[in-house]
Amino acid sequence: MTASWHDLARMEELGRMDTPIHRLDARAKAVVTLAFIGVVMSFPRLTLSALTPLLLYPVFLLSAGRIPARPILKKILVATPFALAVGLFNPLLDRQPVAAIGPVPVSGGWVSLLSILIRFLLTSGAALALVACTGMHRLGAGLERIGVPRIFVSQLLFLHRYLFVISDEAGTMRRAVEIRSGGNRTLRLRGFASLAGQLLIRSMDRADRVYRAMVARGFDGQIRIPRETAFGWRDAAFIAFSLAFFAAARLWNLAEILGRLCTETFP
Amino acid sequence: MNPMAIEVRNLFFSYPDGTEALRGVSLNIEPGSAVALVGGNGAGKSTLLLHLNGYLPVERGEVRIGNTRITRETAALARKAVGMVFQNPDDQLFMPTVAEDVAFGPLNAGWPAAEVQRQVASALARVGMESVRDRPPYRLSAGEKRAVAIATVLAMSPDILVMDEPSSYLDPRARRRLITLLRSFDHTRIVATHDLEMVVEVCSRVIVMDAGRVVADGPVGDVLDNEELMLAHGLERPHILRHHHPH
Amino acid sequence: MHMADALVSPAVGGILWAVSGGLLAFCARDLRKTPRDNLVPLMGVLGAFVFAVQMINFTIPGTGSSGHLGGGLLLAILLGPNPAFLVLASILTVQAFFFADGGLLTLGCNLFNLGFFPAFVAYPLLYRPIAGTSPDPAQIWTASIIAAIAGLQLGAFGVVLETRLSGLSALPFQTFLLVMLPIHLAIGAVEGIATAAIVTFVIKARPTVFASSSEPGTLRPILPGLALAALLAGGAASWFASTHPDGLEWSLARITGNKEMIRPASEIHNQLAHLQERTAFLPDYGFRPAQHETTPAASETSAWPAVNAGTSLAGIVGGIVTLALAGIAGLALKAIPLRHKTAEQSRAGGEHP
Repeated sequence: MTASWHDLARMEELGRMDTPIHRLDARAKAVVTLAFIGVVMSFPRLTLSALTPLLLYPVFLLSAGRIPARPILKKILVATPFALAVGLFNPLLDRQPVAAIGPVPVSGGWVSLLSILIRFLLTSGAALALVACTGMHRLGAGLERIGVPRIFVSQLLFLHRYLFVISDEAGTMRRAVEIRSGGNRTLRLRGFASLAGQLLIRSMDRADRVYRAMVARGFDGQIRIPRETAFGWRDAAFIAFSLAFFAAARLWNLAEILGRLCTETFP
Repeated sequence: MNPMAIEVRNLFFSYPDGTEALRGVSLNIEPGSAVALVGGNGAGKSTLLLHLNGYLPVERGEVRIGNTRITRETAALARKAVGMVFQNPDDQLFMPTVAEDVAFGPLNAGWPAAEVQRQVASALARVGMESVRDRPPYRLSAGEKRAVAIATVLAMSPDILVMDEPSSYLDPRARRRLITLLRSFDHTRIVATHDLEMVVEVCSRVIVMDAGRVVADGPVGDVLDNEELMLAHGLERPHILRHHHPH
Repeated sequence: MHMADALVSPAVGGILWAVSGGLLAFCARDLRKTPRDNLVPLMGVLGAFVFAVQMINFTIPGTGSSGHLGGGLLLAILLGPNPAFLVLASILTVQAFFFADGGLLTLGCNLFNLGFFPAFVAYPLLYRPIAGTSPDPAQIWTASIIAAIAGLQLGAFGVVLETRLSGLSALPFQTFLLVMLPIHLAIGAVEGIATAAIVTFVIKARPTVFASSSEPGTLRPILPGLALAALLAGGAASWFASTHPDGLEWSLARITGNKEMIRPASEIHNQLAHLQERTAFLPDYGFRPAQHETTPAASETSAWPAVNAGTSLAGIVGGIVTLALAGIAGLALKAIPLRHKTAEQSRAGGEHP
């Protein structure tokens, strides 16, 4: 539990850095990330090598954004088993041979599982890179200007703001319960209900106090976010280059072309 | 900024669950003065403060800010004149960054963007917090949070500052800085607090509340030094005064 | 049961994005008219609360294992369907962004499975009728458990359907369903128990908490019905698709009795078909070999990527070289010194309106 909260704060820190990637408009990064995921997932199910060039996009974003690779890879690894439980059955179910490594035939199941793994690396890497290179507050402001309803964005930012406060509160309460129950880390239902119930009541009281503070500063039902820098030519260029690259990677198997060049030049 | 007077006449208030929080409170506060509001928990201090900016409706009695009587219609005006700093800065700093939080009030007031930026910069400078303007509030120390919370209110150019327990959560150094800051303001100031040592340094007058009523009102030296009165209302005579008047 | 991007096709993801996005826009528009100004901070704080509580495990009575709260039904009980749906959307967004738990393409799917069903089906159609307006503990327990189980069963069904329609998993529809539904029966029971335990605790400690949420759900009553109909239609279609591979072509071939019509032999058509295959938005279904043999012979070559040893080798070598190049590019980019914006520039930038 504490580890994930630490992670959350870490991601937020990364999102506040100042690099050319962080300075790109949040809208541009959001749109390109979505396009990227769409392109990755549009490949046929047995695709392997054609997917690999697409790794350049998250790698570019993360390294130009000066994001350390380790925490991002750790997050992806932690999420993998849950996300891929479904794909793990493919090798058992699909035994049609579709390729051969030397004399050993490879079944469609294994190829598709590997393909799913690569896709997972690509898509979750891109999503994490988006936040790490943008930060939640800039992303929220960007989403609002794309046309995501304001009330949704506002409460998303509130959620994000109070995640830290309320999880601290939950942590303190839980430690108190743990101390009294002799260090037993899992709660019984009754203990859980009273902890969660009290936390809920405190949270609702907090919401009241926050609202009171908002009203005191003239809140009229609408949250105004200060306008940041406008969409510039760098953002347009970023979108254009990224989309052109995705299109090229989708239409031609760049890896295979490269591989053919290698194998034919050095037979 | 134009320090304003506050006038409360015979104010009553009960919460929906039946708790009688105020039972006929009356007080006058002169423009530019610094007044402490003291009393035990449940004495009605916070309820009284929430009437001063029209958050709680006046049920019976009267509240005036300057020449304006607070009603449902004038509550918005009262909120412009009265800047309120709440007890827990985590409840007051709800925006993603310090600068956005300080800009919240001015943006609601509909000021032009350049003016908003100017107000944000000068309010942060006034409390010495320019360096944290792009930080998220949860990354600040308790003292920084308090200073920023005060800046969010200063950015709206209020005429009156109302503060609920401003020295809570602060370590001695941050508390010292807060005291220096509060002494430097020219606004009409009302400070609800248990920190009587701070009262001695910041305020000239003390109002003592108990069970929804004003039970004492006078100069700091007279009221806080009255051991009998203080004990009767669950308070203590501050040490700092004992040094001034040794036994 | 958060679905990852890696298992969903753009078509399925896109359709559910549209559905969930439409619902979200509807809820947001509806809430703009609400007199409850305090709703926005309340929604945000309760979202953070659910997030925090999801991290706390408790032992499940009568078993040795432990579980945790999901929170969909609890949010609907506390806030009503429309705000609950928005809060669930932001919880899923944060989970996808910060923990890679669920994806971005699948955000629509996950919101539909974990948000729509508890907020717009389980709560208004089951919880409220059973619990009534001033429920006693027995009613709360019954209503919570039934509603949570129903919500999670529907959600699990959604996961199976969306996964199957995306065609990346080789699991047959029925098998997948037979695995998912019992698991989510248990998860739903735990969710119901936890929800009821919290609600009864809070009602006892602070009876006024639920006073404000007793207003009825504002989504038009027909919407859940419509969605259920769509779901059933989708289920039927996918069942049909899984028993009759290449269902559309198959039925077309039967109707026309002419296989040539499906795959014209002209060079241009072949080229077009090839191009379409390359840019297909819906990856091929993973039919098992036995079924595969029943498909028209003409599609044999394109249903599976043409594989020969030469292409395989080029692919493997190319893939490895590309990965190496990506790694080098990353390191090279990091080696370029970073020019920080000066303080003057950032201040000047900040002052642009």
